[in-house]
Amino acid sequence: MDADLIGKMKSFKSFHLLENYLSNFKTLHFNCHKAPASALRQPFKFISSSSLVKKNEVGPLKGFLASHSTNSLPQVEKCTLRAVSHSSVSGPSFSFRSVATMPDSQASTVQESSTANPGVTPRIKFKRLDKTAKHIMQILDKEAVEKVKAEREIPDIKPGYIIQLKVEVPENKRRVSQMKGIVIARRNAGLNTTFRLRRLVAGVGIESVFPLYSPNIKEIKVLDRKKVKKAKLYYLRDQMTDALKK
Amino acid sequence: MSAASRGLISRFRLLSIGPRTYSFRSFSAEVAALDDESDGAAVEEGSRVMKPFSRRTGVIAVKCGMTALWDKWGARIPISVLWVDDNIVSQVKTMEKEGITALQIGAGQKKEKHLTKPEMGHFRAQGVPLKRKLREFPVTEDALLPVGTSITVRHFVPGQYVDVTGITRGKGFQGGMKRWGFKGMPASHGVSITHRHIGSTGQRDAPGKVFKGKKMPGRMGGKQSTVKNVWVYKVDPQRNLMYVKGQVPGAEGNFVFVKDAAYMVPSRDKYKNKKYEDISLEKKLMVYKKFDLSLLPFPTHFSSPYEDPSLLEPLVADIGETDPFMPAD
Repeated sequence: MDADLIGKMKSFKSFHLLENYLSNFKTLHFNCHKAPASALRQPFKFISSSSLVKKNEVGPLKGFLASHSTNSLPQVEKCTLRAVSHSSVSGPSFSFRSVATMPDSQASTVQESSTANPGVTPRIKFKRLDKTAKHIMQILDKEAVEKVKAEREIPDIKPGYIIQLKVEVPENKRRVSQMKGIVIARRNAGLNTTFRLRRLVAGVGIESVFPLYSPNIKEIKVLDRKKVKKAKLYYLRDQMTDALKK
Repeated sequence: MSAASRGLISRFRLLSIGPRTYSFRSFSAEVAALDDESDGAAVEEGSRVMKPFSRRTGVIAVKCGMTALWDKWGARIPISVLWVDDNIVSQVKTMEKEGITALQIGAGQKKEKHLTKPEMGHFRAQGVPLKRKLREFPVTEDALLPVGTSITVRHFVPGQYVDVTGITRGKGFQGGMKRWGFKGMPASHGVSITHRHIGSTGQRDAPGKVFKGKKMPGRMGGKQSTVKNVWVYKVDPQRNLMYVKGQVPGAEGNFVFVKDAAYMVPSRDKYKNKKYEDISLEKKLMVYKKFDLSLLPFPTHFSSPYEDPSLLEPLVADIGETDPFMPAD
């Protein structure tokens, strides 16, 4: 089986074909480990001697992105050496680094041979980590918001809207309290987006801030859309009685 | 030349070990010897049993930033996101050779042009890919791992506690109130100009000097600090992210070092007259805060080659079935 495989690999004219073949051939390294060391080295020799190696695009972020993109076939095509070395990963939609323990001996081997030979150096993107970190946080935040939006419908709340809320208060034995008021401000911050609700309780103006995507908000109903000219309606604090006569 | 040949040998060695075998060779000085294969006969498949004094390796993570999540009871949890980027064992230190049992872990990746020649030589001699950050974690002998073992985020289990070490943000030259938490002076009652001063720094003639170590204004931050007993809320194996509760030192994009929350306590009465250093590691007790030891993967988590890591679901800590907000009967 192994000799057969290696023969097949040699018969590939271009490296491109080879890597396509490898990405299809999931069980490559399970077979490889049974082969004698000399036979095992051959495919890698072949790889390193090939000058047709394309640039490996697995930067620190690319790998991260690819792990959650649903269909990343072009990504896989771009990964040459890495994809080969991480063959245990084996899914075509997957090119994340640092996953499996198993093929690492081979991964390091390939990497090392490539560092020895400048022609085959895999493309490593050396980026500022703070930017990478920021990007990760942005992705996580976006996903979290999308997840909440998929679970329950959240109307687009803007300043000037008069809304009715049903809020569960865990601290108060999980009672659901209902409140009605005017949105006087909205603070956009991804998952931590909040809005400020102003209402009258026993003749006294009360402002409360709610996270828009909180699971404790059970229902938001927009009753009225007042036309306002400002983003923050703090002037309502001074003319409370007029604006909130409902 | 010699460096190259060593690299070659280690390459052979790595190849000779089949990808499915975890060979815990004797980590002797002749790590690069070719006849290691026979040594590797004592092959263990994966995990071992963790003893009370066992200490696992830590990981190098990148602090990504903070966010907040709601748990299933609707309580908001402040979260720091840590990214365990491509961690592998880059060197094994043994008693015979280095006089310490420790694992050097490398994280990230780097180009050759960013490294000095000695650093290159180290990576080549070990036969590991070039790493951005290296850090040594002392471990007990039973927690040693072979060079090249990759350590994923599943090394940690949601619900456990970790210690996170990092370099705090530099805050520049700060006064005594911010730097040491001094109270300052009253705002009124005749106090003039000296509202944020540190006040007296000592006595009179008797010592006639300011004692060394007096807390005074000066440079603040930019120092290593450890936050202990940080609760792991969530672990995302697909992306190698871990979500821990609360703050960890450092700015976004800084490296932090995460290890099991534990401290060593020598049994007091038995070793009363001995120095702490003289007590062997086995005699010291490892204390893990509020967490079942047997749940930790030991020495680390080995991912199965048959599972597709892109399909792994995030693991969330079990926070119990009793509603924390409902009053207990």
